Amino acid sequence: MLIRAGELASAGTPFALATVVNVRRPASARRGDRAVVTVDGAVYGWVGGSCSEPTVVREALAALGDGESRLVSTEGSCASEGEVEILVEPQLPAPMLAIVGESPAADTLARLATAIDWRVSRDLDESADAVVVATMGRGDEQALERALAGPAGYVGLVASRRRAEAVAASLRSAGVSDDALARLKSPAGLDLGPIRQEEVAVAILAELVAWRHSRAPSELPPPEAVDPVCGMTVSLAGAETVVYHGTTYAFCCDGCRARFEAEPSRYLFVEAP
Amino acid sequence: MKDVLDTLERWAGDGLRFATATVVKTERSAPREPGAMLAVSERGEVAGSVTGGCVEPAVYEEARAVLAGGPPRLVSYGIADEDAFEVGLPCGGTVHIFLAAGEPDLVRELASHLREEQPVALAMEISGPEIGKQELVALDGHFETGIEGDTFFLPFAPRPEMYVFGAVDHAAAVARVGKFLGYRVTICDARARFATPERFPEADEVVVEWPDEFLRRSPVDERTAICVLTHDHKFDVPLLKVALETPAGYIGAMGARRTTESRNERLRAEGVTDEQLARIHAPIGLRIGSRTPEEVAVAVAAEIVATRRQAPVPA
Repeated sequence: MLIRAGELASAGTPFALATVVNVRRPASARRGDRAVVTVDGAVYGWVGGSCSEPTVVREALAALGDGESRLVSTEGSCASEGEVEILVEPQLPAPMLAIVGESPAADTLARLATAIDWRVSRDLDESADAVVVATMGRGDEQALERALAGPAGYVGLVASRRRAEAVAASLRSAGVSDDALARLKSPAGLDLGPIRQEEVAVAILAELVAWRHSRAPSELPPPEAVDPVCGMTVSLAGAETVVYHGTTYAFCCDGCRARFEAEPSRYLFVEAP
Repeated sequence: MKDVLDTLERWAGDGLRFATATVVKTERSAPREPGAMLAVSERGEVAGSVTGGCVEPAVYEEARAVLAGGPPRLVSYGIADEDAFEVGLPCGGTVHIFLAAGEPDLVRELASHLREEQPVALAMEISGPEIGKQELVALDGHFETGIEGDTFFLPFAPRPEMYVFGAVDHAAAVARVGKFLGYRVTICDARARFATPERFPEADEVVVEWPDEFLRRSPVDERTAICVLTHDHKFDVPLLKVALETPAGYIGAMGARRTTESRNERLRAEGVTDEQLARIHAPIGLRIGSRTPEEVAVAVAAEIVATRRQAPVPA
């Protein structure tokens, strides 16, 4: 299980690590049991059976969304009287910074980003979280247009304030939308009054760290549904589902699904006023 | 110029003649600061840059002219804002560049001074009767890069010191970023088990000693950065007291707001004034939401850069 975690980590694939940290018997898990949860909701390992898995998957996907670890309890969601507490830790790959341009400023920025364990691509990369353009006037506009058309949440330009304004004006007249221009940090970097290239790089990385921790989650929270049989909230990824009259219902386990399929109306219409 | 010195030394060793183009002044913003150098050997090889690419072709031709026996001369590339796009200077600034024949003996001497971290400055006559003359002069507290009269001074101060106290994960990251900013980094901790060179390969030195005693015997000037990551009043109260007696340009201390308050109380009880306490950046680092040690290191570096700007000290 830890080997699989290592493989995922070295491949740069996000996953969550779930570890049982506390058990009140009766329960099927023991302290120290572990599982890996991947972004598609698949569980590898053991953290308890159908009582805990749906909860763990739901919380794992939430953790991958917001980057925060959480302590999850199965209290009340189990047929047995027991309770299991599980620590769910997101393991996100290091953020990737694409640096466009061949210039001393670009090289210096790449050195610092690598030193603080960011992944660095020296060209526009679709999977980059952030893009910094530092061509020093040789293709800034073209690179920015491409970057702003892509998915990167942060697009920055290394330039003087005067040059930055000129580039923004040129992009606007080339038809780049105001929405896209609002994503452009230009000149890139916190205003620390930096002069040397190393200082410019520090100002940019500081802005990137601040951006990374302040941005609204870029993706919608993973879709969830309430199991109509037991009332547990489950994540749609990896859940047992049944389509009934065009609507998809999700279940925490085979048992709930079987009960639903035997008598759907019992679970769908009980709360009529 | 430091970035081309290795190449110049090699050319000198091979007996090659070369010409140097040195940025001696910039107006408004320019891609590289005064002291940046482009050099061209008699074989036509190029080292370094003066702007980042835009005026290099023209400067290259000027350097070839000097190699062909032309006189040393000062050239300026002033780019009107509206022309900036066409010519390609990304900022519409002006750079003044001095061209001269290279001096192999001076290059060798300078390289040896820098290897031994001895303070020295290059003095270059860029106008007047002695135009083209270059010599090394002692650096006696005069740290400014720039033109005085007919002379351009380029100081090579030894690397500034960064002292990091506390052999913790954050120390490794702060050391790495400190090196990046050009500091000579020393990590100090009283605990021999934690303060080992193996744990901190990026540090120039790892010292096992009581932090306050180490700092008391170590050189500190206005360029020095002191980062207190000990997180333990037993160490950091006496240490900060010593730090506040030094002229250090940056003093930062780790600790959440409440830790900082209780530490300040103890320092006040030791006779430290509020005015002195205001010199301590605590909690250490700009507020950028850092979580990992690497992110904390970036926050510390950003705070150091911002502090330098208020009291500018050339590196």
